[in-house]
Amino acid sequence: MTATQSRPLVGAALNRVDGPLKVSGQAHYPSDFDVPGQAHAALVQSTIAAGRITRIDTSAAEDAPGVLTVITHLNAPRLDRGPMTGLGASPPPPLQDDRILHHGQHIAIVVAETAEQATDAARLVTAEYQADEAVLDLDDPRAQILDNPWGLDTQRGDVAVAMASAEVVVEGTFTTPDNTNNPLGLFCTLAHWDGDRLTLHDSTQWPSMVRATMAQVFKVPEDSVRVHVPFIGGGFGNGLRAWPHVILTVLAARTLARPVKLVLTRPQMFTSVGHRPEGVQHIKVGATATGELVALEHRSLSAVAMEDDDYEPLAAGSAVAYACPNVLTRDRQARLNIPNPTSMRGPAEAQGNFALESIIDELAYAVGVDPLEIRLRNYAEINPEAELPWSSKALRECFEVGAERFGWSQRSPEPRSRRDGDWLIGYGVAGVSYPWYQAPCQARATISADGNGYVRSAAADLGTGTYTVMTQVSAESLGLPLDRVRFDLGDSDMPIAPQAGGSGLTSALGNAVQDACRQLLDSFLTLVHEDEMSPLRGCTRADVAVEDGRIHRLDAPLEGETYADILARHNLTELTADGASDPGKAADLGMALAGAFGAKFVEVRVDADLGLVRVTRIVSVIDGGRILNEKTAGSQIVGGTVGGIGQALFEDTVTDAGTGRIANATFGDYLIPVNGDVPDLDVVFVGAPDRGTPLGTKGVGEVGLVGVAAAIANAIYHATGRRIRSLPITLDTLL
Amino acid sequence: MRAFEYVRAADVDAAVATVTDDPFASYLAGGTTQVDLMKDGVLAPERLVDITRLPLHGIEHGPDTIHVGALTTMEELAADPTVVARLPIVREALLLGASTQLRNMATIGGNLLQRTRCRYFRDPSVPACNKRSPGSGCAAVTGAARMHAILGVSDRCIALHASDVAVALVALNAVVRIQGDQGRRSVPLTEFYLESAEDPVAENMLAHGELITGIEIPLLPEGARSGYLKVRDRVSYEFALVSAGVALVIEDGVIQDARIGLGGVGSKPWRARSAEEVLIGAPPAVETYRAAAAAALAGAWTVPGTAFKVELAQRTLVRTLQNVTEVSS
Repeated sequence: MTATQSRPLVGAALNRVDGPLKVSGQAHYPSDFDVPGQAHAALVQSTIAAGRITRIDTSAAEDAPGVLTVITHLNAPRLDRGPMTGLGASPPPPLQDDRILHHGQHIAIVVAETAEQATDAARLVTAEYQADEAVLDLDDPRAQILDNPWGLDTQRGDVAVAMASAEVVVEGTFTTPDNTNNPLGLFCTLAHWDGDRLTLHDSTQWPSMVRATMAQVFKVPEDSVRVHVPFIGGGFGNGLRAWPHVILTVLAARTLARPVKLVLTRPQMFTSVGHRPEGVQHIKVGATATGELVALEHRSLSAVAMEDDDYEPLAAGSAVAYACPNVLTRDRQARLNIPNPTSMRGPAEAQGNFALESIIDELAYAVGVDPLEIRLRNYAEINPEAELPWSSKALRECFEVGAERFGWSQRSPEPRSRRDGDWLIGYGVAGVSYPWYQAPCQARATISADGNGYVRSAAADLGTGTYTVMTQVSAESLGLPLDRVRFDLGDSDMPIAPQAGGSGLTSALGNAVQDACRQLLDSFLTLVHEDEMSPLRGCTRADVAVEDGRIHRLDAPLEGETYADILARHNLTELTADGASDPGKAADLGMALAGAFGAKFVEVRVDADLGLVRVTRIVSVIDGGRILNEKTAGSQIVGGTVGGIGQALFEDTVTDAGTGRIANATFGDYLIPVNGDVPDLDVVFVGAPDRGTPLGTKGVGEVGLVGVAAAIANAIYHATGRRIRSLPITLDTLL
Repeated sequence: MRAFEYVRAADVDAAVATVTDDPFASYLAGGTTQVDLMKDGVLAPERLVDITRLPLHGIEHGPDTIHVGALTTMEELAADPTVVARLPIVREALLLGASTQLRNMATIGGNLLQRTRCRYFRDPSVPACNKRSPGSGCAAVTGAARMHAILGVSDRCIALHASDVAVALVALNAVVRIQGDQGRRSVPLTEFYLESAEDPVAENMLAHGELITGIEIPLLPEGARSGYLKVRDRVSYEFALVSAGVALVIEDGVIQDARIGLGGVGSKPWRARSAEEVLIGAPPAVETYRAAAAAALAGAWTVPGTAFKVELAQRTLVRTLQNVTEVSS
């Protein structure tokens, strides 16, 4: 029984509650903050990828106008590495020795009175190196290989025997390049020490993690560090770690005893805050003559930095995507002299799905079965690894609804069979089974004397709509209209929240918010439990509902009173309660916790002579469980789809052989889609609330991107008869 | 960006005198290249002479030519009714370049002088760049060369001249008007640019202090067909992988005159006279176009990253010729 009156607050396609702030310039992003007396920093970066600094000359920079300090490995204090986080190790702290591990490594921070002076002086720092031969290629025999770095390798059945008995075997090697997250907002850190108290404005997706990291690195109590990020100009994963430039800014502020602000440049965004690492995958499937999978083997190798961690199990997801009795997945990493990679929207899945959904497409053509039909023939009705039913799964409905909306039945079976003038036309499909990364979360809810609600948690809103949907959940849970509830986030002094990433925040935070609101209602009922004046005396949550801020008895709706009445009678200015969520365990639930599912249908046109590829239609059908807001969730899928077009056709971070320098670290040279590359996108949600969590939500932050690349590659095959197994698919590969 | 002095020129003579007398001075017009390169630390002029208020703005229409003031913006030139009616090759090349915002800032004179987009030239942390540091080598030859040139280049430098409209203008025999402290001169655009194969530093024949004051563009004869096709990785806001600007006069089923410019391939906006020779006197047919395209690319010098451009440029030129003559494959 729900304690509050059900009303259409959750699920409604509401406009963003923060929209007016954003369009009127009143939403303050990290770089918008300034504090009195602040100085400005600029970074100096290495111009070799491996070796040692033999000499670093800062004298000219120190003598430049306005310069306050220059910190290098020679004068930086020794710093501890940050703590392990829910997503792995912290990056190693900067400026700890003379070693260079990648091109673009920070080797000095210059602080001056103005940003221009700092930038100018940074160019005056000169370094001499003893360069070693950098390890830059995945196939370099010198590269250290990490086997099964996350312990996620899977094996079920006997793949070798099954593969040998398969009537049809298809295999291929797929490569995906480095991609760079490239949020529009340049990452900014503004650090301000007051004694041992640190106030930080930082472009982060995870304020609680930055707080814990700074406390450990600078040896101060966690509660003396406060991290603010009310708004962030995107992240796509860049903001999931406390990067070396953050530590350097905090260090500079402590050294100078002045606030220090640093804004990364666009080229620095390519080397300082992570990227999707390149990978190579070999995938092999065996099937019956009618396309039933009997064996699946998926092996991957991806790049990681010399002394850092990254989570990219490209192959692991293939173990649960299809009902196949014999499966082997193996993931490995190669240590290279590259900037630290990190999660980029749909980490691992974006690459792994490209290989898996391409090979399934190849199998479909090999056995002469429709690519859509072969996916349904191998549908995983239960989670095949856990051997438990899914907490929710409407992937079949995704395929069926998508096929209808797209007009899949109009597809001509043969490749290169439709043409319009110079243009070859093709259809492609891909399925997605997306995991989510579950973490505990806390929230706090308050009703003040005026009866209005205030709910908060130390989460970040990437721009995805967290403010909005949590306002909706809060309002519904408290029984208040939207305009009487404020949801706030982006402050590490609020109750601890997990990262805005991994498609997990909405569920973790939504359940915590709902719990806090319910606890708060309990607190009100406790307050009046013995209250002779209250019509609610003796009631528990099961006995009441709340509507418009008035709690009433379910058995006697006229018997009730408002939050404000209760507070006033008890001489209270407010009442507050905390709530929490913790993801359930599959074994306890008897269900495999499901993430989102999706089906992507794509039409492309390919110029037969010039190789030009134009994506002309995309239909995305998503099972995201309970959708809190059709508008913001739809925008997530639209944005993810645009990212998928970028991954498929454009995005390629190019590293120079030998030097390890990134050759295209600007928006002029690193291509992302422009409006003209993006057709009208059709997005539909299907499915039911997930049974595994109280709210029934599943994350939709990444499922929009994943699968687009495979569906485009499959459509290009259908249009041209050319199977392209390497991203991005550029016109020269189609000439 | 290094500190610099900013001065606003009172008139053309004063502007020319100021820059001529100061080896560390540069002109500032739309700033879309100059300011970028200063921010990146590639250029560090000590003095910028702002010419944007000089009377070098606007288009004069003659019977056979138009004269375009050097400070006319790309967007203004594209919107000129005569350009719309008589010079579609110019209009198309302009509108396929940059973005609306940039076209509203960038001047036509500055467009002709835009510097290469080569990331090795534009990143001072790269030591090897013969254009930036003569004698230091060329990092692009062994680097990421997808956006680099294949004609008029050598292992000393493969930097591309990325202008679209200059490709159309070299095809049209446009003439550059120049003013220096010694007086005025006019130079055909086809002679204005220098290839980088021998000397990567000198990109054109302007002496320090000389100022482009305008461009004369001969109109195409009535009945001429012209067009510009730009092939690139994304649909807009991107430099050409290859492009082709063509203008043809066809009478009695024979190509009487042909002008071919190629973009995305040359160290300078490329005039493909060898292709024109194949076309003139021949009937408009795909086989002729293919022969012309092969002739145009005969001298290509490639590295692994640019090898695909030889074929792509030929196909693009053939397609452009087909488009303007409505000849199907």
